[in-house]
Amino acid sequence: MLSFVARRTAAALGTLLLSSLLVFLAVQALPGDVATQVLGKDATPQAVAQLRGSLGLDRPAWERYADWMRGALHGDFGTSLVSGKAVGGDVAQYLGNSALVAVITILFAVTGSLLLGIVAGLYRDRWPDHLISTVSLVGMSVPEFVVATVLVLCFSVALPWFPAVVLYGPDATVGQLLPAVWLPALALAVVMAAYIVRMARTSVIDVMASEYVTTARLKGLSTWRVVTRHALPSALLPVLHVIALNVAWLLGGVAVVENVFNYPGVGKLMLSSVQNRDLPVIQAIALISAVVYVACNLAADLGAMALNPRLRTRGRT
Amino acid sequence: MSDIHHPGRRSVLAASAAGAASLGASWLLSGCSGATAAPVLPAAARPGTPDRGGTLRIARPPASDAETLDPASSLSAYEYLGALYNRLVRIGADGDVAPDLAESWEPDSTARTWTFRLRKGVTFHDGRAFTSADAAYTLRHILDKATASPQAGVLTPLVDPGRLRTPDAHTLVVPLKTPNAEFPSLLTHYNCYVVPEGSGKSIGRTGIGTGPFKLESFAPAGPGRVTAYKDHWAGRPVLDAIAFYSVADMSARSGALLAGQVDLLSQTNLDFATARVVAASDHATIARVKNGQWYVLPMLTTDKPFTDVDVRRAMKLAYDPEHVVKAALQGAGRAGWDNPVPPDDPVHVLTHPRHDPEQARFLLKKAGHENLAVDLYTSAYDPLFTPMALAYQESAKRAGIRIRLKTASADSYYTQIWMKQPLMATYWYTGRPVDQLFNQVFRSGSSYNETAWSDKGFDALLDRARAETDDARRRDLYGEAQRWVIDKGGAMTPMFADRLVGLSRKVRGYSEHGFEFDYLGIGLKGA
Repeated sequence: MLSFVARRTAAALGTLLLSSLLVFLAVQALPGDVATQVLGKDATPQAVAQLRGSLGLDRPAWERYADWMRGALHGDFGTSLVSGKAVGGDVAQYLGNSALVAVITILFAVTGSLLLGIVAGLYRDRWPDHLISTVSLVGMSVPEFVVATVLVLCFSVALPWFPAVVLYGPDATVGQLLPAVWLPALALAVVMAAYIVRMARTSVIDVMASEYVTTARLKGLSTWRVVTRHALPSALLPVLHVIALNVAWLLGGVAVVENVFNYPGVGKLMLSSVQNRDLPVIQAIALISAVVYVACNLAADLGAMALNPRLRTRGRT
Repeated sequence: MSDIHHPGRRSVLAASAAGAASLGASWLLSGCSGATAAPVLPAAARPGTPDRGGTLRIARPPASDAETLDPASSLSAYEYLGALYNRLVRIGADGDVAPDLAESWEPDSTARTWTFRLRKGVTFHDGRAFTSADAAYTLRHILDKATASPQAGVLTPLVDPGRLRTPDAHTLVVPLKTPNAEFPSLLTHYNCYVVPEGSGKSIGRTGIGTGPFKLESFAPAGPGRVTAYKDHWAGRPVLDAIAFYSVADMSARSGALLAGQVDLLSQTNLDFATARVVAASDHATIARVKNGQWYVLPMLTTDKPFTDVDVRRAMKLAYDPEHVVKAALQGAGRAGWDNPVPPDDPVHVLTHPRHDPEQARFLLKKAGHENLAVDLYTSAYDPLFTPMALAYQESAKRAGIRIRLKTASADSYYTQIWMKQPLMATYWYTGRPVDQLFNQVFRSGSSYNETAWSDKGFDALLDRARAETDDARRRDLYGEAQRWVIDKGGAMTPMFADRLVGLSRKVRGYSEHGFEFDYLGIGLKGA
């Protein structure tokens, strides 16, 4: 068990290092640099040279990467090339806003789709099953920006219940952001839901056909009790992995959805940083994303091990 | 922002990030709200007088995360400038130079020295009186290399900051290095808003000016607010306050307007589909900035085959601008006929060869370019680039020219394609005075000369024009310059488009032309 965790952690660290290098190289490969991007049509040779000099862009790329890496290992992610502010604090602020959406999305998606999956499983091949399966598949297939736009049209233009966009900056309070969080969360949840619904449905069908459930039923337990006490825990196990993967996916999904809602989260920051070629910010976000991704997978593996005795004991034999 | 680096660089986000998001969104919009049976887009803003007071909410694309309130900077937050500051002179509704902080101005007999008489009784928001020292400082601040102002390129060849004179508190004397009868027009640029003396280091955050509104709060690429300045020299503005919100994504901006979260979309030219949805909505509508956008297909005159003036002539004769206006603009604009001076500019001359595909064929044959095939670059940067390119392609086919459309990434369009590829689609905001327009975009060696056209005779003509003190003769010379560009230059101007501005139905007194926005008169009705 311990050696397994150690091996996984080492692999995770390697992945992080590799991803930071790849991101750095990818940004280097993009046409233009922060000086030409920020100045746009005003990028006269003098202005570009002046900006490059003041930003230290005239130094070789590997030198800048090494510098950045050294800083990052000490917890210093450098300063943004565009705003001149410390990247760490900036990213943390945006990340906090994104976390608010992410938590609500996961709560929405997990509870909602588990519930729908169980209903679909219990009513297998009858109309509630067909309805739920079809709708969730459609939700998964439609790109998130379309779902987001439809939600805006329905729930902020036609029915003015929620704001269409966030008008505050990254320093908005939770109270200011809260009214605007629901539509982005719903958009992301709709896209996420299909996987979980399918997994939950299959698990419920399997479990309901198993002998111990038949026994439980024969003992006279109600369907509700059978589902909550017996079917749900077993159905949760495969779903756990899907949820972990989805949390990682959320990081990519928010980039698009946050822009549609002008939500001051890390996805929006990432997009504008890529456009500006603001390398320190891109690197920091990429590294944090990689950490989240790796951590989620690690947690899912360990969680699965904890819930599954066969996996848990394998290491000891 | 964006004079020149165009407005709403960030509005591209939707297009580049989410693929055809904005397009898809407007299609969805029209589908959902049942506005497919398009109503005719309104021709003008709603008439009537606003109520006194109220807060106007403006959504704007941020210039950059490094935005500043320093008017001279290339990263100035454009919308704030007109609210917070005044210039010495501005462009009036008739297109001529009009008084702002300067009440009058006159040149000496050779147009080598200009004297500006400044308004008295004007105060900055911090209570200090405005004097000629502030006006002189503003010019020195723009010319300061450390400011790296885009307008420095225009003013440095003319003005020596060390020779500015302030004989009294309300007179500014500007000796020029070379004669220029159009000099005041160069001070109408939005980099030339007047700031208090010695404020260079702090003005980016304080925003202290003489304008109708004073700064309450400002966050780069974030929200901000200005409130009415009661002691403004021209009287207090109609509104109590303006709230500025920065929304980078164009479809998010339209969504905010449709949901009633904002009252006006600044620096946003709505695409036709979205404009129709907005016009059909209960609380929003469309206003137009007439001929607000100047669309160009620049041919790089340093790249084959456009090094040959006959090929350039053929490219112009080959297509019908009226067809481009019909196909790409759906009539919401005017044919340009390759003349960069907008049709409503006082010096505009109506002169151009007729559309003549046969003559184009003949010229190409003469130049050895029969069956010419060239790449034309476009991008999602602006909704009209691709329709314009398609219309050109279709029209030029009749002259035997084969155009291959290439779509480039929007986010690096102005670093990788503009001034690099021999033929591409681009645009500018109109509102540049004619002297600045020609010297900045068409003069040899200017950093904005997007066709890399270099013609000594044309440059000499521009010098003659700016030195000519007789207004009628100068106008003739600028007319000659227009003919020269049409005949020999590298820029094709297929069209001038109306900018379609989305605003709330409550907005009254909206007036915008070129880089002039009426912050004094705009207000709300029944808010």
